[in-house]
Amino acid sequence: MQPQVNIPFSNTETIPGMTITQMMGVVTGSTVRAKNVFKDIGAGLKNMVGGELKAYTELLQESRNEALYRMLVDAQARGANAVVNVRFATSSVAGGAAELLAYGTAVVVQ
Amino acid sequence: MERLSSSNEVIRLVVWIVISLLVPLLPWLVSGIGTAMYQPKKKQELLQREQAFAKTSDVLSTLSKPLSGKEVKEYQVLMTNVVMSPSWIQTLVGGILSLFGGEINVFTKVVDWSRREAQQRLREEAAANGYDEVINVRMETTTLSNTQGAKDKTTGVEVLAYGTAIRY
Repeated sequence: MQPQVNIPFSNTETIPGMTITQMMGVVTGSTVRAKNVFKDIGAGLKNMVGGELKAYTELLQESRNEALYRMLVDAQARGANAVVNVRFATSSVAGGAAELLAYGTAVVVQ
Repeated sequence: MERLSSSNEVIRLVVWIVISLLVPLLPWLVSGIGTAMYQPKKKQELLQREQAFAKTSDVLSTLSKPLSGKEVKEYQVLMTNVVMSPSWIQTLVGGILSLFGGEINVFTKVVDWSRREAQQRLREEAAANGYDEVINVRMETTTLSNTQGAKDKTTGVEVLAYGTAIRY
């Protein structure tokens, strides 16, 4: 498992109960993931009746946590102690792979 | 005697033709029946889960500050996602309908369904962790690409809902 990065983050413009004193710029974290072939086949069969493809839901959930983690590491490296206004973006790359991006504004709060 | 056997042969020929016509359509048939059995059941379940939360006002809001103006004691960014795909038969019908343009109802339903599912999961996750409200909710939709070129037609739409869950 990845080590914990203890930086508060929020997708609102402020961290509740704290004031922003310094801006450290935009931080990003991204990852490109693909599921293994066997689960792709399972999803292909589920495609027949439609509905949720659980393998992909889990894949994207895991990857998004990884992207978030990388973003927080970036923020820590810049000397920030919080990230505000976190946004997520996703795009699909060829071959069943998806890119997950998390970005936000690294700040110093007090 | 001879007439009987010839009429038997005609019947056998007709049955054979019908079967040989049906075999290529079999996947679509199975898909159609499977869709009709599976999807309404899941949608009904979702509706019941939504109704369990409908008694109070909606906990999700897109505002960046809570309306009540109370002090926030605890917060956490929550995100929930769901990947849904139209069934083969829905893809086929959608493909035919898209020749004529206008609204493609079968696809609208799938995307709407996944968005409701993602929102409902956000409500449930907030409730499970003891949060009062989720503010600044954002939603995002992505299509997943075909895998292995054009052979495997596995495509899906991913809906992500995220927001800041708060506790007073």
